[in-house]
Amino acid sequence: MSASAISLSNPKKRKAKQFGQNNLIGYLFISPWLIAFFLFTLIPIAVSLVLSFTDYNVLANSGEFIGLENFQRMFFEDRRYWRSVTATVKYVIFSVPLRLVFALGVAMLLNTRRRGIGVYRAAFYAPSIVGGSIAVAVMWREIFGNDGLVNFILNLLGIAGPNWLGRPETAIWTLIILAAWQFGSPMLIFLAGLKNIPKHLYESAQIDGANAFQRFLRITLPMLTPIIFFNLIMQLISGFMVFTQAFIVTQGRPLDTTLFYALYIYRRAFELNEMGYASAMAWVMLLVIALLTALVFRSSSYWVHYESEEGA
Amino acid sequence: MRFAKPLFVLVLVASFLLGSAVVIGQDQTVVRISWWGSQNRHDRTIATIELYEELNPNIDIVYEFQGWTDHWTKLSTQAAGGELPDIMQHDYARIEEWVANGLLMPLDGYIESGAIDTMNIADASLAGGMVDGSLYGINLGNNSQVFTLDVDAFEAAGLELPALDWTWTDFEEIATQISETLGIPAIGGLSGDPMWKSLYMSCCDQWAYAADGMSLGYEDDQPLIDYFNMLLRLQENGGMQSYEDSVARGDMGVESQLMVTGEAAMAAHWSNQIVAVWTAAGAERNFVMYPLPRAEGGQSANYFKPSMFFSITSHADHPDEAAAFIDWFVNSIEANNILEAERGVPISSAVREALLPDLGVAQAEMFRYLGIIEMDNSPIRPADPAAHNDVVTNVYNPEFVEPVMYGLMTPEEAAPILREEANRILGDQ
Repeated sequence: MSASAISLSNPKKRKAKQFGQNNLIGYLFISPWLIAFFLFTLIPIAVSLVLSFTDYNVLANSGEFIGLENFQRMFFEDRRYWRSVTATVKYVIFSVPLRLVFALGVAMLLNTRRRGIGVYRAAFYAPSIVGGSIAVAVMWREIFGNDGLVNFILNLLGIAGPNWLGRPETAIWTLIILAAWQFGSPMLIFLAGLKNIPKHLYESAQIDGANAFQRFLRITLPMLTPIIFFNLIMQLISGFMVFTQAFIVTQGRPLDTTLFYALYIYRRAFELNEMGYASAMAWVMLLVIALLTALVFRSSSYWVHYESEEGA
Repeated sequence: MRFAKPLFVLVLVASFLLGSAVVIGQDQTVVRISWWGSQNRHDRTIATIELYEELNPNIDIVYEFQGWTDHWTKLSTQAAGGELPDIMQHDYARIEEWVANGLLMPLDGYIESGAIDTMNIADASLAGGMVDGSLYGINLGNNSQVFTLDVDAFEAAGLELPALDWTWTDFEEIATQISETLGIPAIGGLSGDPMWKSLYMSCCDQWAYAADGMSLGYEDDQPLIDYFNMLLRLQENGGMQSYEDSVARGDMGVESQLMVTGEAAMAAHWSNQIVAVWTAAGAERNFVMYPLPRAEGGQSANYFKPSMFFSITSHADHPDEAAAFIDWFVNSIEANNILEAERGVPISSAVREALLPDLGVAQAEMFRYLGIIEMDNSPIRPADPAAHNDVVTNVYNPEFVEPVMYGLMTPEEAAPILREEANRILGDQ
């Protein structure tokens, strides 16, 4: 009995030991990432939750627990807060659909077998690689500047171009157009989605006499809904977090019409050292984004079609 | 054998972690320093540092430089992390806040021991760095606000140069005439907060803030209203760059002022910035520096301000070496020959005398200008309250200047809002 028990337990033990060892090595290999994740992401996030209930000031390196005062100030006393909310919501409402439509359109154009199509794909993706970079923002200033490219062209047509970046009505639109122009990453995902739509669907539709628009409406769009769903959520989240463009191109001006939420958080946190208040603002944003994402997920059962459902 | 692999991995990881720490192990003392400024200042300061390292091979000065806004962002973050450099450039408007938070080191000991030699420095030149009776910053140059006039543009417009005690009424006439004859605005924006302060100094012997910093320092909104009504008139008739144009252009530093590129006939800035302005504009240009226009019948709108300080932070690892560098920076003629008064007129009389014969055209004009101001100025007011930055960023600009300059509100409507909101922030601090 005892002998067999030993012989039974031995390989088990060895296996467990080996398993532990393998895990240890695995953890060691990802330790740089783990350390950075805990040190620079998880712990700061937790700390910021605590800070949001304090009036922590970076320079003084001290703060007191003030309960919900930060939130009260945000919602009821801070005029600029609501302007930043307005600017951000406006930006998201216009830039996200615009970018998705652009991305889908270009993806469909690129979804053909042509010579050199790879070059086109790379070229169309390029604006997104340089994405939120300073260089693009500086270039945008030049394009929409008073003596910029846009006004130069308008001038040739005999139109006196407006002061794009200086007028409160137009400044935010330059940023929305910039967002639409950076359609690369949703475009790539759309392209992959388009390639996955079975050709025979189009062929049979064509035989049944469906025209191009009908094929797009009845085949392409429904088959793409999972991809649209994914892109919508990703773009919604990144839309709310827009920062660099406004920081460089408009600095939130004029009249706070481009004072995006993240930019205002930055101002409060790093220019005025009000880290407690800024943390509270950041947590409100997190909750709003989470809520919106949940809503989109909820709505998805009404408009997102998965192939497996049809098969079942 | 069984342990060989994990052991190997462990050693690998450990050596990665330690590797970075081992590299620094030489005999040099590292002194860290950080400043803000324009490209011109960066170049001069770096050259000065390199000379110092040559003269003191045992010192390694590690420097960081940036623009004004980034300077404060970066350093306040470093302050929270306990990682401030040994020496930081500081400002009159902020030094009080930093001292109150225990981030700067008193320098009185170094003055008494002579480590920082003040033999050739007037007490008045050091006074700006005093907070609560102790010295926390060494003044790097005397400064005053200035209107720089492009003499050639004035000539082209058929205008005589104004009197030294010109008023805002004179200014408005001149600006209007320049835009009529030359078709360019006379000047860029004039709505910044330094103008707000000087305005009350000139008209009413008051200041934007009360002496205790807990409220605004003036009772009557009328001078501010009149001033902004004038700006609106100038914006309308082209005498001043329109606010939306200046927003569209963006704030790219003193070198990007309209006058530099000949797109305006005047520029308003701090006197030390003439070095950067003139360098950017070109030596062949013909500039002359003028005091700020004053209120009708008022006193001088100019005051002497320490342009900036070098302070030793309370996180400094090598305060003694830092003090030695500051001493050399302020007193050495070699150093100041490179710096060429770019941070303002040097406070050491010996340095001033040594520089005089070889001054560049911009520096010579700055020395001359501060001589004029010395004869007629208003006394400097208490350093700005800690909430100054908050008031300017969140009230003065977004609630007053922008709505007024975009025509959403009249100055009469906006001035009470400025008063109410600013007082709320100032009273809360």
